[in-house]
Amino acid sequence: MQCLRTPLSDLSVLERQRTRAEWQQQGQEQSDYHPYDADYCMQSLLPVETSFRALHSCSGGGANENHGNVHGSNDCFSNAWPDIVSSMHCPVVGAAASVEETSVNASSSSSSRKRKSENTRRSKENSGGSDGKDDNNCKRIKEETGGGSAPPEAKRPNKRKEESADASKENDKAPKSDYIHVRARRGQATDSHSLAERVRRERISQRMKYLQDLVPGCSKITGKAGMLDEIINYVQSLQRQVEFLSMKLAAVNPMMDINIDSFFGGREINPTCKSGIIPMIGMSSELLDQSYLQFGSLQHDMFMDSSDLLLRPNVNPPAAVSDTSLGSCLNVNGSSVWNTNLQNVYGVEFQLGRGTALPFQSLQGNLLPNNLKMEM
Amino acid sequence: MQATKSFERAFLRQLLRVFRLSAVSYKSMSLQERKSAIKLSADVAMASARGSRKWTRGLIAKLSEEDEHRSFLRLILGTEYERLTKPCHGSWKIPRSKKIVRRSLRVCSRRKNNLRAPHGFKSSVLARTLVEKRTHALKRLVPGGESLDGYSLLDEALDYVISLRAQADLMQKLLTTFEASKLSALSKCTLPERKASFVGK
Repeated sequence: MQCLRTPLSDLSVLERQRTRAEWQQQGQEQSDYHPYDADYCMQSLLPVETSFRALHSCSGGGANENHGNVHGSNDCFSNAWPDIVSSMHCPVVGAAASVEETSVNASSSSSSRKRKSENTRRSKENSGGSDGKDDNNCKRIKEETGGGSAPPEAKRPNKRKEESADASKENDKAPKSDYIHVRARRGQATDSHSLAERVRRERISQRMKYLQDLVPGCSKITGKAGMLDEIINYVQSLQRQVEFLSMKLAAVNPMMDINIDSFFGGREINPTCKSGIIPMIGMSSELLDQSYLQFGSLQHDMFMDSSDLLLRPNVNPPAAVSDTSLGSCLNVNGSSVWNTNLQNVYGVEFQLGRGTALPFQSLQGNLLPNNLKMEM
Repeated sequence: MQATKSFERAFLRQLLRVFRLSAVSYKSMSLQERKSAIKLSADVAMASARGSRKWTRGLIAKLSEEDEHRSFLRLILGTEYERLTKPCHGSWKIPRSKKIVRRSLRVCSRRKNNLRAPHGFKSSVLARTLVEKRTHALKRLVPGGESLDGYSLLDEALDYVISLRAQADLMQKLLTTFEASKLSALSKCTLPERKASFVGK
């Protein structure tokens, strides 16, 4: 969600409402990310937005113009919509053979914010003419969720086939409901079961496509069974990898337990970690505090000194401090104080502490080798 | 498809927090115990960083089956633990009426028998059983996947794969940083030489 926020501020209010309502509809309380949604959405909402503006601006223009816009925005939507994930199930009702287009002014059966935002949007765009309305209907139906989610891609192929032919026939008087309205394709069965099945199959095939992108080496495999096989193998291999890595970490760890905290206290201040710095800065002092409680008295004293060092530059400057200033603070303080501390009796452990922290500070510009850099 | 930076950050933060909390007990553990403790911490960190999803709930439920882990989890997650372990709105088990299930089984088997008799061994049947077998296998792999149907199973599997990949990457990076700093720390050379060797690496 966070990564969505900034680009969303660039979009119009209506877009924002629409996308926000859409995420909420997915029923995820605090999803930290929608990986594919966010990435694709950010790219593809922008062209949608521009085409929207085009629609707005050409109010009541000629049929050609509107057609062009409709097709343009349809194309944009065709890019945007498959990437927007909706993970809720919907009660699918196949309306016999004809689509009931939902109307602008119809009473909404649910009070979802999405509907309201759509209404406001639609009322603003009402000047767009009938073709604009088609487009709106298109989008509206795609967005429509109510109790469940409408997989837009299920209806989009329908729409695109029928749209250019039946532009004038689009009826926008049907009331909104909680159900998805699907138009049967030409020459296909129209009973509700097969329609529902078709929707379900298309959703599943879309998911399979995503997974195909995700799992390496799956581009050649078609068919559900083979794909599932690859997915299973990949999941198993990832799980095994995690186990192996945890074993290695366990092996590395006992020698390092002294250093975990101071290590990360120094590391986070490393300016090569760009955006992760500010939230991490608060953590570094806290890490060092914790380290007092955990280690023996000898190490207590040691870390007392070094943490004073690290805490001082942390505490004084305001939160939004620049990386370089912190780094320079530490450098200045580091060499002097730690040189004096060398006189103390600490011995090897202190050498350890010094050894790890300093290289990371002093090599700011010089950048750690790749395998040490953690992308944050 | 990548996990977002915010997820990675949250994951790392949680992981470090967990390490910090359990570092005391690390010293007394054997290698195996340490390994399982680290794996547990990594899983918990991943689940809590991801938020609320079917597989995170399933994972936490699976982890809290053992009593000792439960207190650990409660400590880490705090209030979230209670929220995550109670069954979510989309029911844990899809409620199914026995009568309907029985009836549909009867119909299905009748249809299958009818088909099989005239046509013999149909490839579609074979394909279907293959898919079913694999779906079951996937259900066993993805935590909390037993009660999911086809579509949401794929959805959760997708999410789970992304998080697993991020987890493996993060742990790998952690490992290399630990190893590298250990190397530099334990070397006997003086400070400028140490710096130089670091640069050389």
